[in-house]
Amino acid sequence: MRALTANRLSDGEVVFWRAGAWVERLSDAEIFSEEAPAAEAEAAARAQPTVVIDPYLIDLVESAGFWAPVSYRERIRALGPSNHEHHGKQAEGGGAVEALRQAHGAARSSGRVNLIRRK
Amino acid sequence: MYRYDAVDRAVLADRTAEFRDQVRRRLAGELTEDQFKPLRLMNGLYLQLHAYMLRVAVPYGSLSPVQMRGLADIARRFDRGYGHFTTRTNIQFNWIRLAEAPDILDALAAVDLHAIQTSGNCIRNVTADPYAGAAADELEDPRVWCEAIRQWSSLHPEFSFLPRKFKIAVTASPHDRTAARVHDIGLLLRRGRDGGTGFEVIVGGGMGRTPHVGPTIRSYLPAERLFSYLEAILRVYNRHGRRDNIYKARIKILVSALGAEAFAREVEAEWEKIGTEGDVPAAEIERIRAAFTNPDFLADPSTGDFEARRAAEPAFARFVRNNLKAHVRPGYGIVDISLKGIGETPGDISADQMDVVADLAERFGQGDIRATHEQNLVLPHVRLEHVHEVWKALDAAGLATPNINLISDIIACPGLDYCALANARAICVAQDIARRFEAPEKAEAIGELKIKISGCINACGHHHVGHIGILGVDKKGEEFYQLTLGGSGAEDAAVGKILGPALPIDRVTDAVDAIVGAYLRERRDGERFLDTLRRTGDAPFKEAVYADAH
Repeated sequence: MRALTANRLSDGEVVFWRAGAWVERLSDAEIFSEEAPAAEAEAAARAQPTVVIDPYLIDLVESAGFWAPVSYRERIRALGPSNHEHHGKQAEGGGAVEALRQAHGAARSSGRVNLIRRK
Repeated sequence: MYRYDAVDRAVLADRTAEFRDQVRRRLAGELTEDQFKPLRLMNGLYLQLHAYMLRVAVPYGSLSPVQMRGLADIARRFDRGYGHFTTRTNIQFNWIRLAEAPDILDALAAVDLHAIQTSGNCIRNVTADPYAGAAADELEDPRVWCEAIRQWSSLHPEFSFLPRKFKIAVTASPHDRTAARVHDIGLLLRRGRDGGTGFEVIVGGGMGRTPHVGPTIRSYLPAERLFSYLEAILRVYNRHGRRDNIYKARIKILVSALGAEAFAREVEAEWEKIGTEGDVPAAEIERIRAAFTNPDFLADPSTGDFEARRAAEPAFARFVRNNLKAHVRPGYGIVDISLKGIGETPGDISADQMDVVADLAERFGQGDIRATHEQNLVLPHVRLEHVHEVWKALDAAGLATPNINLISDIIACPGLDYCALANARAICVAQDIARRFEAPEKAEAIGELKIKISGCINACGHHHVGHIGILGVDKKGEEFYQLTLGGSGAEDAAVGKILGPALPIDRVTDAVDAIVGAYLRERRDGERFLDTLRRTGDAPFKEAVYADAH
């Protein structure tokens, strides 16, 4: 499973793709199980350079009934900094945030690495 | 300290107006991100994991109370109520919105600050001894030269597109508090045989993926010839530095490849060509010197009840032992303000705390505040009579942790909690170690021990020169930490040696504990951690950390 993420141009906020628009919570994001629609969404996102910067796909795993990024870099992006629990998206709390906190997995963000390679 | 004149202010106003237009064009789609990114970086604006980050230059670490309040105002209005002091004595704001960045630059300019040359392949903020003008062991105030270098290097067209970034440190004390030997250029003020003032010139130090302790290429350079010599060094670097490989582009690689002697010959030949025309006129140096007016010191001030309170109040006595340093003037002291509260983020300071520091500097500290490359602050000129009151106010604000140079006074870069380049977190590792050694008696019993943590090989956390260095690495997709021992950023500069295989995050604090345990078992009277390590070698420490693995 995958989701499409980027940073919003106007404020740098981490955002996720949902049916042609951008949402701030991973729990609201569109989840792709197939390659083709994911690639299509990524191409569409790239055509929005005044909305977001550097969109890329991230891999997800299931965690406590929610989808969580495989890489902890992406989990930190989806949560906020671990030294300030009241900063970032994690401040809202709730089941989705807890699921992200409990998820385990790789450090490297394959989507990010692919983005760097493309550059 | 130096004050901006009308020309300085006009330059900043123009620059901010230019950036405001660039931001507008970017948001309107008239500039692509590839076109805009170098422009925003030239104004200190990075895109990090969660938001934009603005890095503000604090010239040679000196701030006035007005400037500190200006930073507090920015933290409140444009960020989340705090800032982060870095190992370049700059301050970073982590939650910036692009559209507001020009307004922040205006707010900075209003207090004579900016974010120019805090990124890019140019000459960055100069590091000075944070005790400059106050240290008992100082030859003269190095900030005069730092300010001259700042003016000379600001927007210098020849040195705006160097092969890579370039960092200079200046100190005038035998005890190096600037890490001069791991800068691109380290300048150590010396007294010449003729009684004049000059510099020992060190070139090609650095950290990152290939750490080097810089060699001395000239043991004595008359001070009045400094700028022609700097120009010669930078010209040789500009000409021969590698632009084909970002990992080999720093001057340390060039100096290492040519050899220090051959590099020095190139510099001397270039220097001869430049001649004295490249030097800054003495009158200009004197003009700058005059801006660093001596604070209004009293000849023989009363120390009030300083000694009585030190004798009666153990907590105050501990603060004095660890956070108060000898001042050149009798009756005065240098107060170190720790930004390393136990469990806090190293280098972070809230807007309210900034205001407290500004007030104290104004009331008791001659209006002078310094940032250190070890991510702390300093009030360099406090009458001993006032130290108790300063301590009480700092304590009430959570700024009186008595741990300067002790095990919990840890440098940590922002790491993967904020930084787009990081491989691993650094802050939480620092917090965990600090909590383990929270008891001040224990920390004092251990003595001087500098732990420095970086979240990637770029080494913003100076791990190479930590007595214990900790480097976060990505090992098969997990956060691991490589330990080094024996580094030093002081006058006995050294690059730490890797102790053994990297450890998972949950074993790092135990490993530090084991290293400390080995040190306490092995040390002889009066030895610091580094002394014991240098005498015994790393075998006892390796055994302590990796015993389980055998």
